[in-house]
Amino acid sequence: MQSSDILSTIGLEHYLVVSAILFAMGMAGVLMRRNLIVMMMSIELMLNAVNLSFVAFSKFNNNSEAQVMVFFVMTIAAAEAAVGLALAVAIFKRFKEVNIRFFEHLKG
Amino acid sequence: MSADAFLFWFLSLLVLVSGLSVVLLTNPVYSALCLAMTMVGVSALFVTLNAYFLAGVQLIVYAGAVMVLFVMVLMLFDLKHETQAFTRGKITGAIKIASVGILAGLVVGAITIGKSLENIKAVADNAQAADTTKILSENLFLKNVFGFEALGVLLLVIAVGTVALSRSKGGTHAK
Amino acid sequence: MSSMGTTGFEITVNLIKTVLVFLMMVQAVPILVWLERRGSAFIQNRFGPNRVGPLGLVQLLADAVKFLNKEDFVPDKANRFLFYAAPVFALIPAAIAYMAIPMSVPLIIGDSKFLIQGYEVNVGIVFILGISSLAAYTILMAGWGSGSKFSLMGAMRASAQIISYELALGLSIVGVILMYGTFNLTEMIQQQQGPLHFTGFGYESYIPWLPNWGIFFQPVGAIIFFAAAFAESNRLPFDLAEGEAELVAGFHTEYGGFKMLMFFIGEYGHMMIASGLMTTFFFGGYLIPGLTPNDVYQMGLNWFGSETGANIFNSVAHFLSYNVKFAIFLWIFIHVRWTLPRFRYDQLMDLGWKTMLPWALANTIITAAIIFAANYFVL
Repeated sequence: MQSSDILSTIGLEHYLVVSAILFAMGMAGVLMRRNLIVMMMSIELMLNAVNLSFVAFSKFNNNSEAQVMVFFVMTIAAAEAAVGLALAVAIFKRFKEVNIRFFEHLKG
Repeated sequence: MSADAFLFWFLSLLVLVSGLSVVLLTNPVYSALCLAMTMVGVSALFVTLNAYFLAGVQLIVYAGAVMVLFVMVLMLFDLKHETQAFTRGKITGAIKIASVGILAGLVVGAITIGKSLENIKAVADNAQAADTTKILSENLFLKNVFGFEALGVLLLVIAVGTVALSRSKGGTHAK
Repeated sequence: MSSMGTTGFEITVNLIKTVLVFLMMVQAVPILVWLERRGSAFIQNRFGPNRVGPLGLVQLLADAVKFLNKEDFVPDKANRFLFYAAPVFALIPAAIAYMAIPMSVPLIIGDSKFLIQGYEVNVGIVFILGISSLAAYTILMAGWGSGSKFSLMGAMRASAQIISYELALGLSIVGVILMYGTFNLTEMIQQQQGPLHFTGFGYESYIPWLPNWGIFFQPVGAIIFFAAAFAESNRLPFDLAEGEAELVAGFHTEYGGFKMLMFFIGEYGHMMIASGLMTTFFFGGYLIPGLTPNDVYQMGLNWFGSETGANIFNSVAHFLSYNVKFAIFLWIFIHVRWTLPRFRYDQLMDLGWKTMLPWALANTIITAAIIFAANYFVL
C-alpha cells in the first residue's frame, strides 16, 4: 500500500486503531491511577472506545444491529456511573479520602 | 487530502490527546473535563461514520449528563491536591504498562497486518446513508424489545438503589 | 464537505453567513438588555436608563466601554485556568446551537441555494438538545474556579437544576417529533403550512381560519417546553443560582468587567435558542399565517417581475415574520422575569421531577396513542 493511500482514504482499520489505542489508555488508567473517581472515568473511556468500534463496524458492514448494541452499552455505562458515584460519595463521607491505598484492607 | 480525511485525522488526534490527558493529569477535575472533551470528540467521530442519531444521544447522555455528574461529585469533594496520583511500586507499574502496551500492540497489529478484515472491506464499498434512525428504531423496538424493556427495569432499579445508597438524615423533608 | 456548497462562491457565502449568524446572536444582546432595563422600569413604574442617547439606547455601549476599562483580576484562591476559561466557554454552546435554527425560506439565486441559518443538521433537534446540555460545564467551571464557597454552592444548585430540567425539555418535544415524524427543523416547519387540518379516524377536518401550527396539537407540550426553557437558561422564576439576596451573585460572584458580560451573552443566547425553538415547534417558524411560501413567491413575481427579486422578497418576508414571533417570545421571557417571584430550591427540584416529568411522560403516551389510533381505526 502506498503511504498516501493510508493517509487519504479512511477505512475500517483507522477507526479500529483509534478505538484500540483509546481502550489501552483506559486500561492503563484503571491500572495506574489511585483515585477512585479517575478509575471510574477510565472505565468510561474504555466503554467509549468499544462504542466507537461498534459504530465503525456498523458503517462498514451496512448493518444496524451494532448501533442497537451501542444503545445498550451507553445506557448501562450511565447506570453504572451513577451507582459508582453514589458509592464514592458514601466512601468519602466515611473516610474523607478517595485514594484507594486507604481501603486496601477490608477492615473498617 | 480530502475534507473527510482531514476531519478524521483532526478528530482522532483530539480524542487521543484528551484520552491521554485523562490518564496523565494529576488534578482530577482537569481529568474529568478532558474526558468530557473526549466524549464530544467521539460524538463528532460518530458523525463522520454517518451515525447522526447516536452522535446526538452520545452528546446528550454522556457529555451532557454523566460527565456533569462526575464533575459535580469531584467539585463537591474539593480535593486539595493528589497525595499520590499514580501507583507506588516501580516494578509493578512497569509490568502494568508493559502488559497494556503488548495488548495494544497485538490488537493494532492484528488490525493492520492481519488478514481478518479483508471480507469486511469488500462489503464496505456500497455504503449508503439511508434513514438510519428509522432502521435503528425498528431494530430496537421490534427485534430487541425484550432487551429494551429490561433496560427500563434496570434503570428503575438503579435509580431506586442510588437514592437508597445516598440517603442521609435531615434535610427539608425530614420527618 | 459538500453541505458547504460546491462552487467557490457558495462556499465563501456560506462561511460568511456562519459568521454573520454568530454576530447576529451576539449583537442581539445589547438590544435585549435595553429592552430588559426599560421594560422592567415600566413594569416597576420607574424610568430606567434615559440619559445616554435617545430613549437610553446607547446605555449598553456606555456600559461596554466601562467594562472594558475595569481591572482584570483573578481571586487569590482561584484556579486560574478554569477562571479564565469559563466565560469563553459560556458563548460556545449557545452560538453553535443557535446556528442550527432555520430563520427563513432558502434563498435561491441562480443555481445556488442558500439556507438562512448557520448550517443545516439533519437530526436538528437532537443536536440542539445535546449542545445546549453542555451549558452545565460553564457554570461548574465558573463556580469551582472562583475558589469561594458561595460560588461553589451556586454552581452546584444551578447545574443540578439544569440537568433536571433537561429531562422535561427533551420529553416535551417527543410529542412534537412523533407528530411530524422527523427530527429536521425545516421539515417540521414545512408541515405547519396551510389551515388547521386534522387527518385521522377515517375523515379529514379543516378549520380554515386557524393556521396549522403545532400549538393546537400539542398545548401541554408547549407549556412544559416553555417552562423548562426558563430553567435551562437560569431565568427567573428559576434563577436561584444567581439569586441576588441569597448567594450574592451565585456562580459569577467573583467575576467583574467583561467576563461578566460574556456570561450574560451566554444566558441571553440560551434565551434566544429557547424562543427560536418555541416558534419553530409550536408557532410555525418563519411561516406567515394564512399564506404559504408559494403564495408569497407569486406575490413577489407580480410585484418585481424577475425570479431573483421574487426569491429575495420571499426570504425577506419570512425572515421578518420569524423575527416578529421571536421578539414576542423574548418579550414574554423578559416580562415573566419581572412579574413572578423566585422558587425556593426544593420547590424547584420538586417541580422538575415530580410535576413536569410525569406530565411530559403522560403527554408522550397520549400523543402516541392518539396517533396510532388515528391511523388504525376508522370511525
